[in-house]
Amino acid sequence: MAVIEKTAVGRDRSVAATTGAVAVTATLVLLVMVLAAVDITQGTADVGASEVWDALTGNAAAGDSSVVIASRLPRMVAAVLVGVALGTAGAALQAVSRNVLASPDTLAVNAGSYLALGIIAVTGVSLPLLASSGAAFVGGLAAAAVVLGLSGLGKGTVRLVLAGTALALGLSAVTEALLLLFPQETEGLYSWNQGSVGQNGFDAVVQMAPVVVVGLAGLMLLARRIDALALGDDAARGLGVPVRGTRVTTVVVATLLSAAAVTLAGPIGFVGLCAPALVRPLTRRFRGLVRSRVSLPVAGLVGAALVLGSDVLLRAVVPADTAVEVPTGVVTTVVGAVFLVVMALRLRDTASAEAPDRLRIPSRTAFLVTVVALAVALVGVLVAAVLLGDAKLLLGDVMNWAQGRAGRVVTFVLDTRVPRVSAALLAGGALALSGTLVQAVTRNPLAEPGVLGVSGGAGLGAVLLVTTVQSPGSWEIAGAAFGGAAVTAAFVFGLAARGGFQQNRVVLLGVGVSAAAAALISLVIVLSDPFDTTKALTWLSGSTYGRNMPDVVPVAVVLVLGILLAVTRRRELDLVALDEDTPRLLGMGLPRARLGFLVVAVLLAATAVAAAGTIAFVGLVAPHAARALVGRRHVRVVPVALLLGALLVCLADLAGRTVIAPAQLGAGLMTAVIGAPYFIYLLVRTRR
Amino acid sequence: MRRHILATATVAVAALSLAACGTTEPSSDDAAASAKPAGKITLTDAKGTKVTLDGPATKVVATEWNVVEDLVALGVAPVGVADVKGYTAWNTAAPLTGTPKDIGTRGEPSIDTVAALAPDLVVATSDLSPAVVKQLRKVAPVIEITSADAADQIGTMTEGLDLIAKATGKESESAALKKDFDTSLAEGKKALADAGLGGAEIASADGYVASNQVSVRAYTSGSLLGAVNEKLGLKNAWTVKGDESYGLATTDVEGLTGLGDVQFTYVANDADGDAFAGPLAKNAVWKSLPFVKAGDVHRLPDGVWMFGGPRSMEAYIDSLVDALTK
Repeated sequence: MAVIEKTAVGRDRSVAATTGAVAVTATLVLLVMVLAAVDITQGTADVGASEVWDALTGNAAAGDSSVVIASRLPRMVAAVLVGVALGTAGAALQAVSRNVLASPDTLAVNAGSYLALGIIAVTGVSLPLLASSGAAFVGGLAAAAVVLGLSGLGKGTVRLVLAGTALALGLSAVTEALLLLFPQETEGLYSWNQGSVGQNGFDAVVQMAPVVVVGLAGLMLLARRIDALALGDDAARGLGVPVRGTRVTTVVVATLLSAAAVTLAGPIGFVGLCAPALVRPLTRRFRGLVRSRVSLPVAGLVGAALVLGSDVLLRAVVPADTAVEVPTGVVTTVVGAVFLVVMALRLRDTASAEAPDRLRIPSRTAFLVTVVALAVALVGVLVAAVLLGDAKLLLGDVMNWAQGRAGRVVTFVLDTRVPRVSAALLAGGALALSGTLVQAVTRNPLAEPGVLGVSGGAGLGAVLLVTTVQSPGSWEIAGAAFGGAAVTAAFVFGLAARGGFQQNRVVLLGVGVSAAAAALISLVIVLSDPFDTTKALTWLSGSTYGRNMPDVVPVAVVLVLGILLAVTRRRELDLVALDEDTPRLLGMGLPRARLGFLVVAVLLAATAVAAAGTIAFVGLVAPHAARALVGRRHVRVVPVALLLGALLVCLADLAGRTVIAPAQLGAGLMTAVIGAPYFIYLLVRTRR
Repeated sequence: MRRHILATATVAVAALSLAACGTTEPSSDDAAASAKPAGKITLTDAKGTKVTLDGPATKVVATEWNVVEDLVALGVAPVGVADVKGYTAWNTAAPLTGTPKDIGTRGEPSIDTVAALAPDLVVATSDLSPAVVKQLRKVAPVIEITSADAADQIGTMTEGLDLIAKATGKESESAALKKDFDTSLAEGKKALADAGLGGAEIASADGYVASNQVSVRAYTSGSLLGAVNEKLGLKNAWTVKGDESYGLATTDVEGLTGLGDVQFTYVANDADGDAFAGPLAKNAVWKSLPFVKAGDVHRLPDGVWMFGGPRSMEAYIDSLVDALTK
């Protein structure tokens, strides 16, 4: 009797589950269709709903129908294809890595594809679409392989995102360097980098559609095995599922899908991350969505709705003529960022901070040797930085200059070179210290002003001021940067603090906010100064170009304050970084201490951005490396991190100024190029 | 391991310091200040800055292609030019004279290189950031030229030319250039009118293809080419609004459907490929456009710099008249 009842209930449930899943799918299909219908009535040509209807029924003038057939429909189909491909790819990647942050963006797939396409653009070879898509696929796959190889599949969110962010930054830095070096050859590639679904006829769509279909079919075939992986590696093996083979195949197929999307429309940010995240709460309500065979296509539909919705929203808000200049990817990124923030807040994942890396505690001598070695290296780099450049100088020149009796050329050269070297030195130190403080307060090795969006907010503040006010002063720029940084920091830390700075929540929030800030910076520059991409890249890539001595003063002042604070409060810093309870037991006002350190960290990051643009990586690498070298006590970490940060940025600036002189690369690009391999080396070394 | 690093670093720094001692230039007390010839030139540049020169400048550095062209046209061979390779590809109306040094990109010229050239005048444009101009002023006298102003492109162009002419003592050459330009305009206008093209509608553009997206850049009536077109008695067909300085607007293929029956001219460069003859040629919207059907699409010859000076514009007028009256 009891048995019969059970099966009856079970059948009921499965019926309910199926109807639920069907209802969700049907609603999504309807939504996508409505959005698609609206999308084809929007555009720069004077072809509205009635003309579209006429064209579709074959009654329109030849001109109107060609607009619908060769421009509107391809754009709409491309948006659907791109959305489906990215949504499905993201869902599959998250399933096989059991990681809610895996996506084409965080696995550096997009960055790898973008670099591959950038290299092709620079060589000036015009490849047929399938070939360039192949190149994008190879680039994306290589990047994903490196990230997954380094982070290990299913081994925790932190390592994956660390490796992915590092590689993505490094690869995009190389691509951006190409854009700066070959402005003519890569004209258009910059805005394309933001992703745009506009199409030149149906050709590309027709060529890419089969690739997407093959990718989707492949994932459907893999769906059962992907479900098995969700049970855990051992359980999956017990069911006879080849774990490694399934993972590798899924990643390859997902990469193929993202590469197809990148070839069609450029990297459309965040769809691959958001779509599965939006499906997850639905899964809880409708159990029928648990199976990959259902949830993957549903994630694809959500992706399509996201891309189409962004395209529609953009054209509904801005006039069509202007909308052409705004890449769709900017909108998906902002929309995606909002979703990401909401998701982060709803995240119930309790994966709190990982056990701190087990680090050996080096002797006092080792610490001193490290400090001395780094100081010597820094002095060496500073000397080189002052002497080298397009004009090579000798030390005697510098002596003459310091005494104010140098000749004309030497005076000119050093007057402009010394502020740049100082900006690099101080910004590097400030970012390193800022990273150290943020990592201590959040007890999160991933946290740094760049990843958390604070640098991005500072950049946005500064760019807004620079584009609206005629020649603002150094303190005004620093102030605007601080305003932007303070708003983003209050937002990110305020929301993150509610969960006690949970690892995943902080990173999700930060990734969302920093991407939104970068997208908004692009947007401000595209709208205010559309024909000056050099300006945009210079701001986004972090550069000491054109710095004068007064520009450096704010960061110098704040750095001195920051160092004083870190030195006098070093014990509190150790306690804050330790755990939640010890400081309370010792009677320390934990919230106040945290707030104080964060305010200083934000000030440091903001003034560094004002002096040298948004330089990522330093705040992440320097404290991390410092802890690896000298243990986790702040009395040791702070000086080592400061030296490392200054060294890294000075070296990057020096390389950026000299390697391809007289043209120059931003220090931020160079820190990424120098910092990424080093950081990846660290990841490999600490892997157990 | 660490000790090794330390030792290596110390040796490296020591070696560097030893190698780096000495000077590349005698200190200023050693160098006797040489007397400069009289004949100071005082002028006020486009930004309202008063600049005083000891005499007509001869060692001149230019940070943008339009001012490079002006210098070359005036008979001054610049000693430093931003992006020499690009200039050579994009501006053949006024080929470089002498062997100028490349000072880096137009957006971020290397101040080190400019300083090392020790010029007696730097000609910068309104496109260069104020902070950089401030640094350049330490290196040499700087005059800033307005690159473009959608309110009056031709006036802006000749004002810039006059300023540079004044600073380099080439005022008679400047007058001759302006006269040639006016003659060219008048002849072009007459030739077009004779061909029955007076008042014809024209749309000038250039275009780029990245991946499979085409962006078309419209030269509205606020652009330099647009202004010259109007002086030639043609009518600008673009309805999109251009930006405030260059008078350019971005649109896509759809945006061309509003143009109607016009003469469509475009600029391309073999260095970058031809978006209109290439990827666009197969596009159904493009093929349905009335001017494409009528064969009124004209590619202008390479090497006419769309934002250049009188020389480029004369070359433009010649090529336009050629194309339209063929």
